[in-house]
Amino acid sequence: MRIDNAYFTRRKFLNSILGGWLGAVAASFISPIVKFVWPPYKEPDEVKLVFADYSAMQPGEVKNFVWGSKPGLIKRAQDGSFIAWVGVCTHLDCNVTWLPAKKQFFCACHDGWYDENGTNVSGPPPKPLRRLEPSVEGEDLFIRKPGVGAKT
Amino acid sequence: MKIDMKKFAAWFDDRLALTPIFKYMTKKEVPQHEHSFWYYTGSSILLFLFIQIVTGIMLALYYKPTLEGATDSIGRIMTELPLGWLVRSVHSWSSTFMIALVMIHLLAIWFTKSYRKPREATWMTGMMLLVVSMVFGFTGYLLPWDDLSLSATKVGTNIPMAIPVVGKWVTQFLRGGDDVTGDTLTRFFLFHVCILPLVIFAILVVHILLVQKEGMSVPLKDEIAKKKVPALPFWPNFILREVVIWLVLLGILLTISLMFAPSLELTADLMAPAPEGVKPEWYFLFLFQTLKIFPANMGPVTGEFVAVVLILIAVVAIFFLPFIDNKPEGKKGKIIAYLGVAGVIYAIVFSIWSLL
Ligand code: HEM
Ligand code: FES
Repeated sequence: MRIDNAYFTRRKFLNSILGGWLGAVAASFISPIVKFVWPPYKEPDEVKLVFADYSAMQPGEVKNFVWGSKPGLIKRAQDGSFIAWVGVCTHLDCNVTWLPAKKQFFCACHDGWYDENGTNVSGPPPKPLRRLEPSVEGEDLFIRKPGVGAKT
Repeated sequence: MKIDMKKFAAWFDDRLALTPIFKYMTKKEVPQHEHSFWYYTGSSILLFLFIQIVTGIMLALYYKPTLEGATDSIGRIMTELPLGWLVRSVHSWSSTFMIALVMIHLLAIWFTKSYRKPREATWMTGMMLLVVSMVFGFTGYLLPWDDLSLSATKVGTNIPMAIPVVGKWVTQFLRGGDDVTGDTLTRFFLFHVCILPLVIFAILVVHILLVQKEGMSVPLKDEIAKKKVPALPFWPNFILREVVIWLVLLGILLTISLMFAPSLELTADLMAPAPEGVKPEWYFLFLFQTLKIFPANMGPVTGEFVAVVLILIAVVAIFFLPFIDNKPEGKKGKIIAYLGVAGVIYAIVFSIWSLL
């Protein structure tokens, strides 16, 4: 049935009301599903380590720690302070390793090298290793993402 | 009581209406010509797909998709379960055979140009099957959960990140978070045994129905000359030949699986440095090498971005090949055939190069 001068028939009108409503109902389910499938787990903002485990490190020495679900690397600088990095390659995410004899970080996946300051020096890595900010606070050694201040 | 088989069959047919299908099968014919051999590639893929399903279900009875249990559960399958090592070996080798045959199938169709009108949709569903088969392989590679497969998966799931914005989203979807963890393993298992099988079946049904709808193609020159190509009845003549080929392939598969069973390494450690010699399955090697030859940065973008975009363009172009090659008998058709040869040489050279 079509009323005089109407753009569409009554059937078309009802079809689009029903279709639009079904579409809207379906869409309202999408957001919770997407949120469930893309999980809320993110990298930590900081990790707390026991300072005693790292206080005996010699200048130039590098140790590992656990940064969420990937390795972190911490180095004692010549002046006794600490420098820390996320221990994954900036090329394609493989875990890197410290080679004390060469004083370089090495990624075995595609032969990537970083110098002792974490700067990419050869192979495919496009960027230096990602820096973290260590901070000794009493008994604890905090490692934080840059820009994340101490939680007081 | 004597069951009247005829009545029994008639009852079923009444309910399910199967007679037209049987009639179709007995009437179906397969053209006979110098390129007919390649018709056997499609159904030989089906053989290996069937083997994958049977051995895969067997493995899944004991496999545990968790960070702590995965490697051990495979160790148990290999050492405690009767012929478990062989089941694993067959599953692993049959995947290689299947993907190799999918590639041969694709190339045979590329060179005989049987994707031409009216089989464009058959080709496109075929390309989807190729991609799904490769994703099957990629997700299966992680399941033994050793350092090598962990690193290969880290690399593989990081590649989408080369694409700004959407890439990160894809990577998080694949990994179940920002990093490869035990959740990634569980997710890959689910893809491998539930989602991908549903997807491959849906596409396969369309692919095979399309093949039935159009019938087998005849060589281009015979089609142009309107020559009548002799044909072989599908049942039983073609099927007989098919079964012989299946048995030969099965023999080769079993021999190789017996002699070269896959090994099992120590369970993966998320914190351990990447081991030497991280590489993907053989069918990804040429793509892997392609990524490697690009420099880290190319002007404003990363080399990886350029490589990923180029690879995507190539895949999309091959997907739409029947429309690009719209005059298969002309000069453009010849060039496209040569591009196919160039592609094969490229893939072989780059695969070997990546191993050096
Ligand atoms: C899981 C993967 C696949 C399976 C199980 C499969 C199965 C089959 C079967 C059983 C046939 C009929 C027999 C034959 O021509 O060999 C066929 C034909 C065909 N396939 Fe596939 N296929 C797969 C992948 C592909 C791929 C990757 C392509 C190309 C992109 C493709 C394109 C075609 C075309 C165009 C035909 C028609 C050939 C003709 O009529 O001459 N298929 N496929
Ligand atoms: S992932 Fe480190 S060099 Fe490629």
